[in-house]
Amino acid sequence: MKSRMIIKNGYVYDPINKINGEKMDIYIENGKIVEEFTGNSTEIINAEGKTVMPGGVDIHSHIAGKLNSARVFRPEDHRTDPVPKTSVTRSGVGYSLPSTFVTGYRYSAMGYTTVFEPAVTPLEAKHAHEELIDTPMIDKGIFVCVGNNYFVLKYIKEGEYEKLKHFIAWLLKTVKGYSLKVVNPGGQETWKWGKNVNNLDDKVKGYDITPRDIVTNLTKVNEELNFPHTNHVHCNNLGSPGNYEVTLETMKAVEGIKPKKGRKNVLHIAHSQFNSYAGENWGNFSSGAAEIAEYLNKHGHITTCIGQVIFTNTTTITSDGPWQYRLYLLTKNKWAGADTELETSGGIVPYIFKKKNPVNTIQWAIGLELMLLTKEPWKVFIGTDHPNGGPFTFYPLIIAWLMSRKAREEMIQKVHKVVHSRTQLASIDREYSLFEVAVCTRAGTAKALGLSEKGHLGVGADADVAIYNLNPEKLDRGNYNEIIKAFSRAAYTIKDGEVVVKDGEVVKEVYGKTYWTNFQYTEDEELREDLEKVFRDYYTVSLSNFEVPLTYLPNNKPIKIEVK
Amino acid sequence: MKMKQVFKDVVCSFCGCLCDNLEIEVENGEIRPLSKACTVSRSRFVNYNRDRVPYPMMKINGKHERVSLEESIKKAAEILRNADRPLIYGLSSTTCETQRKCVEIAEKTGGIIDQTATVCHAPTVVAFQETGEIHATLGEIKNRSDLVIFWGCNPLQAHLNHFVRYSVFPKGMYTEKGRKERYIVAVDVRETRTTKLADMFLKITPGKDFELLSVIRALVNGAKINAEEVAGVSMNKIKELVEKMKNCRYGVIFFGLGLTMSRGKHYNIIATLNLVRDLHKYTRFVVIPMRGHFNVKGAGMVLAWQTGYPYAVDFTRGYPRYNPGEYAAVNLLVNREVDAALIVASDPVATFPSPAAKYLTQIPTIVVDPKISMTSLTADVVIPCALAGIETEGTAYRMDGVPIRLKKLIEPKEGVLPDEEIMEKILKRI
Amino acid sequence: MKKLEAVLITGRTDKQGETLEIGKTSKEYFEHLSTVQMNQQDMSEINVKEGDTVKVETEYGSVAVKCKASREIDRGIIFMPYGPWTSLISPVDTEGISMPSFKGIKAKVYKASGERILTIQEIVEGYE
Repeated sequence: MKSRMIIKNGYVYDPINKINGEKMDIYIENGKIVEEFTGNSTEIINAEGKTVMPGGVDIHSHIAGKLNSARVFRPEDHRTDPVPKTSVTRSGVGYSLPSTFVTGYRYSAMGYTTVFEPAVTPLEAKHAHEELIDTPMIDKGIFVCVGNNYFVLKYIKEGEYEKLKHFIAWLLKTVKGYSLKVVNPGGQETWKWGKNVNNLDDKVKGYDITPRDIVTNLTKVNEELNFPHTNHVHCNNLGSPGNYEVTLETMKAVEGIKPKKGRKNVLHIAHSQFNSYAGENWGNFSSGAAEIAEYLNKHGHITTCIGQVIFTNTTTITSDGPWQYRLYLLTKNKWAGADTELETSGGIVPYIFKKKNPVNTIQWAIGLELMLLTKEPWKVFIGTDHPNGGPFTFYPLIIAWLMSRKAREEMIQKVHKVVHSRTQLASIDREYSLFEVAVCTRAGTAKALGLSEKGHLGVGADADVAIYNLNPEKLDRGNYNEIIKAFSRAAYTIKDGEVVVKDGEVVKEVYGKTYWTNFQYTEDEELREDLEKVFRDYYTVSLSNFEVPLTYLPNNKPIKIEVK
Repeated sequence: MKMKQVFKDVVCSFCGCLCDNLEIEVENGEIRPLSKACTVSRSRFVNYNRDRVPYPMMKINGKHERVSLEESIKKAAEILRNADRPLIYGLSSTTCETQRKCVEIAEKTGGIIDQTATVCHAPTVVAFQETGEIHATLGEIKNRSDLVIFWGCNPLQAHLNHFVRYSVFPKGMYTEKGRKERYIVAVDVRETRTTKLADMFLKITPGKDFELLSVIRALVNGAKINAEEVAGVSMNKIKELVEKMKNCRYGVIFFGLGLTMSRGKHYNIIATLNLVRDLHKYTRFVVIPMRGHFNVKGAGMVLAWQTGYPYAVDFTRGYPRYNPGEYAAVNLLVNREVDAALIVASDPVATFPSPAAKYLTQIPTIVVDPKISMTSLTADVVIPCALAGIETEGTAYRMDGVPIRLKKLIEPKEGVLPDEEIMEKILKRI
Repeated sequence: MKKLEAVLITGRTDKQGETLEIGKTSKEYFEHLSTVQMNQQDMSEINVKEGDTVKVETEYGSVAVKCKASREIDRGIIFMPYGPWTSLISPVDTEGISMPSFKGIKAKVYKASGERILTIQEIVEGYE
C-alpha cells in the first residue's frame, strides 16, 4: 500500500466544506485527507468525468445482533441470493438479511464506509460486537436500547434524574455503545403484560410514568452528557394509521430542551415513514408526510431518516414487540418474538411490500414525500431502516427517485391509484441535486452522528472517499438507470486511504473501527449499590460478566467525554 | 503456579445454563469449586486434567505415535487439502472464536460444516424456520413466570441448576414468593426427579406428544373434543391445564430432547411453537428450548452470521447452501458422501448411529479436543487443545441466546494451544 | 428364551455428565453408560435381576449391557443413557432433517448371561 494518493480531476461534492461539484484534486496521506503535496511514490486515481464524494455514512441500518435470529429464521430469503467466495472475499448470502461479510462488501460497493447498528439490547451487546468483528470494509458503532430499561423507568419514576444520568454514562461505557436508542418508549415493558402504550401520555404498566417522561428525560440526559449523536427515537404507535400525531407530539415534547454546545438538534426520529400515517383505519389510511415535513421545515431541533419502502420481499425486525405481534395478526406470516430481561422486547415478521396494495403504495410515497417536502436535506436522510423497508442495497434506487422526476412518474404508473388521492407525491416537481444527495447520504448523517472526521473531504478528515461513474456535466435525469448503476457500483471506494472497491467489486478486504463513547466520571456509590442489588435479584448474569471488554472491539475508537 | 487464587463470577462451560456465578479456587494446578456449582460442574472442574489427550498423535501403521505439534498440523492440513469434500463437525463445546475459524476452514476447503445441534435440537431449528418462536431470556422467567411447563425435558438431571437459578425457585421482580408463586407442570413418558417436583404431571404414551399438543392447541382455540383421554392423559387433566395456560400471567414451556427426538420430531416442535403463539389471544406465553452443550447455541449463531444458515452448511459450490437431511453429518456419513473429517470438541463416534460412526472410522479424520474421546481413539491425527472456560477464554451463548465470556483460570500444559490457534495454524497451511 | 418387547428411550443423565468429565475411558463412565434401566416386573418376566447382563436388540443391531431396576419406569419402557452403547442400536433414518429417532425405538430385551459388555475401545475396534 502506498501511503500517498491523489484523486485527480473529479467533480467534488463536499457539502460540509461547501464544495459543490468543483473540479479539484483530493490529497491523501496515511489514511487522512491532507493539504496539497508534491513528490513521488504516489498513487494517482484518475477521476476525470466522475463524481467524488466523501464515503457514505448510514445512520440507521440493522446489520448486527438481534437480526441474527432473522437470519436463522429465513433460509428462504438467503436462497434467492447466494454469494460465492472470491480470491479476496468470503462467501455468504445476501438479500434482506446479508451475512456479516456480505454486509460489508455490499456497503463498500455502494461507496459507503460507515454504518451504525441502531438497536442493541445491553445484555446482548457482546453478540452485536462479535458480528461487527466479522463485518469488513466499514467503520461502525452500536446504539443501545434504553427506552424500556428497568433502571431508566425506575429512576424516572422515582425522580432520580442524576442517577439516571450516571446510569446512562455507566451503561454506554460498559457495553461499548456509541449512542442512545429509544424504541416504542414504555411500550415494550407494557407488552410484557400483553398490552401496549398508544400515545405519549399513556401510562407504562407498573411504573406510573408515560412515554413522554421517557423521551424528554432521556433527551435531556443525552444533551447534558454531551453525546456526539442526539437521542434516537423509534416513536410509539409505529405502523398504525393516524400515528403522525404521536410523532408530532414527540417532536414537540423536546422543543424546549437545550442542545449541547455546537448543535441545534436534540432528537433524531428514526424511519419516520413508518410514523407519518394519517387516517383512522386501514380503509382511510393516507399520508401524513406533509404535516411532518411542515414541522421539520419550521423547527431546527430534529433530524430524521426516512425508512423508505421498497417493493420487495423483505424482513421486518424491530425491538417493538407489540408492533411485531400486530403485524403478525395483520399478515399471518410467521412470527418470532423475544423478550430480554429488564431491557427490551422485539420481534421478526417477513413482509412483502406490493405495488398494487393501497397501504404499501401510500407508505412508498410517504418516504419520498418526506425527502421532497422537507426543504433542508440536512434534516432528512436516506435509509430503508434496513431490512424493515427493504434491503440497503436499494439506496441507489431511492437516489434515482429523488433525482429524477421521470423515475418517480414511471413508478407512480405502476402503483395503486391511491397514490394520487391519498398522497401528494405526483404533484411534487423537486429533483435532488448531487450536492443534496451528498448531504442526505453522508454529510448530513455524519454531522448528525457528531463524527467530525467523517462525511467530508476537508483536511484532517478520514480518507474515506467514494468515486462514482457519473459526469455531472452530462447528467441526464431522464436516463435514471445510469444514476442507479453509478451509485450501485462505485468506480472506486477508498477506505482510510486505500482502494478497496474498483468498478463495484471488492479488491481488498479491510476491517474498520468501532466507535464508542468512553465517559469519564467518578463512580456514584448509590448507583453501584443499585446495580449490585438489581443484578443479584433480577438479572441472570453477574454484574461483572455484563461488561463488554475491549477484546470485542479489536479496532476500537473511543470518544472520550468528561462527565461533570 | 504455587499461590492459591480465588476467582469470582466464574462461568461453567458444561451445559447450556452457563451459570456465571461460581467461586473457584485454584492451587498447585488443582481446581476446586467453592460454591454454587452443581455435581456435573464440580466434576468438570475437579477432573479437568484427567483423561486428557497427552500430546499430538498420528496413526502410523495403525497405531497412535507421538508427533510434534507442527507435524500434526501439517498432516491435518494435508488431509483437508487433499479431500474432495471434507466434513467439519462438532463445535458445540468450544468458543465462538474457534467456531468462526472452523467455518473458514469449511469454506476454504469447499467442504461441509455441521454442528451437534444436528442430532439434538435440529428439529427445533427447522420448526422455528417454519413457524417462528416466541422466546425470552431466562431472567424473564425468573421475574415474571407464574406457569412453568417442562415438556420432554428433565432439568434436574441434565441442567442441574436450572430450577434454582431460572425457572422454579428464584424470587424475581414479580415472583417475590419464588416457588410458591409458580405452578409447575411436567410432561414426560416416565417419572423423573423433575416430574416428582411438579404440581401437575402428565404421563404421556411414548410417541404421542404431537397428538397431545394438537389437542391442547385445539382447546385453546375453542374447539370441542370428544375423547376421554388423549395420549394416555385424561381429558379432565388436559382441560385443567388449558385453563391454567389461558389464565396465567406469563407462561413458559421449556422443552427438550423428549420432544425433538421422539416420533414426529419437528412436527412436535411446530405444534409446541404454534400453541405458544396462539396463547397470545389470552396472555403472554413464551417457549425456550433446553439446549445441551454449553455453546451449541453459539455454534448456530456463528454459522448464521457468517453463512446465513445455522447448521448443515455445504460449501462445495463456493457459497453456502443449506439442506438438512442432505448436508447433515449423519446423512453424509451414512451415505458415504464425505471423504475426510475434522472433528472439533465433540465425539460423533460415541453418539452417531453405528453405520455413521463406522464410516467415520474409515476415512481420514482429525480430532482437536482437550480430552480423549471415542473419536480420538480412532482418528488419524489427534491434536490436544486447551479446555475452554478453564485454560482459555472466549465467548459462549447461553441456551436463551445471552452471550457470556468464559474465563481462563489456569495455564494449559506447555505447548498446548487453544483450539482457536490450532485452527488458525491449520488454515494457514491449507 | 423369553424376550421382552419394549420401547427404548435414550437420554442424558447427571451421572453421565459427571462420569464424562472424569473421562470417556474411565471405569465410572463405562459402568454408568453401559446399562439399561427397566421396570422390576419386566425384569422378572425375563428372569433377570439387578446387575445381570441383558441384550437389547433393535432392527439396527444388538448390544449387551447391565440391567438396572427402576421404580420410575412403567412396564414396557426401557431407558439407556445416550452414548456409545445406544449408538450400536440406533435407527439410521433421519427422515429428511438430519436427526435419527433416538427416542421411542422398538426393542427386545433378553437375558444374556456370560455375554461380554464391550468397552469403548472394543466398540471402536469393531468399527475399524
